[in-house]
Amino acid sequence: MSNEKNVEPASLDPEAKAELDRAFEDLYRAHLRDVYSYAYYRVGNPHDAEDLTEQAFLQAYRHFDRARRESDGRPLRPWLIRIAHNLASNYYRDRSRRPQTSLENADPIEARHGTEAIAEGREQLRQVMANLDHLPDDRRDALIMRFALGMDNREIARALGRTDGATKVLIHRAIKQLQEEMGDE
Amino acid sequence: MSEAQRLTGSTWDVEHLLSDALRPIEPPERLSGRLEDTLSAVTQAAAEELSDWAEELSESELRALRDPRNWVRPVFAVGAGGAAAGALLLLEARRRGRQQAKGGLRSLAGRVRL
Repeated sequence: MSNEKNVEPASLDPEAKAELDRAFEDLYRAHLRDVYSYAYYRVGNPHDAEDLTEQAFLQAYRHFDRARRESDGRPLRPWLIRIAHNLASNYYRDRSRRPQTSLENADPIEARHGTEAIAEGREQLRQVMANLDHLPDDRRDALIMRFALGMDNREIARALGRTDGATKVLIHRAIKQLQEEMGDE
Repeated sequence: MSEAQRLTGSTWDVEHLLSDALRPIEPPERLSGRLEDTLSAVTQAAAEELSDWAEELSESELRALRDPRNWVRPVFAVGAGGAAAGALLLLEARRRGRQQAKGGLRSLAGRVRL
């Protein structure tokens, strides 16, 4: 944790605070879906995903001024997802839970398939989600960031606090492990 | 995508399956309202707290806080506290040093006996 002084938004002068609030609103509108999607796939149910999203944005708001100053103009999405990631880790630690991954709201296959294809597709998706759930946490999280949020390796690296190289290897191994497990079934 | 397309040889096209399975999920509408209410409440509470704190101080207290002559006592108190803490640390270090010396001698004695 950095020792640098954190400026609470409320302690800024009114003009600076108004500007900061506008910037935060932009960030919030741009990434609410990302944070919610990440939270949903981590905790596996809409209720807890909403709580986690709310907590993530509250925490982000408290540290937003400093994050903006330190970002050097880089996108803040990885920082935001990192907050959600840390909160989700604490959520499991506190409640000793594992995610209950569900396709209930994902609605992955739409009208482009016939009924039979939907059933077949859903079974394959159920399999991939079940296998995803059994991956080590860091591999599963990297895949959620890549596929649900469309983050690139650099963004994922920043969100997980790893190097770009280590992240590339992590994702490669995660996909390979899933392929092997799907092949075994 | 057909079964044949999902499988390349014996390998599952996991990336395609993941793209299908892990679709972004639209947050429920109520979440936006809930978040905006919470953030407004937080900023409002912080602003009120600051304002209450400023109002609680009388004009004479504020003047006293601004007067550098009144800073001497707190600075002296911090200095004295620091010196006392330093002295305690020094005493503790000496005590441990003596204990270690005893332990060292004892173990040396043990080795000699062996």
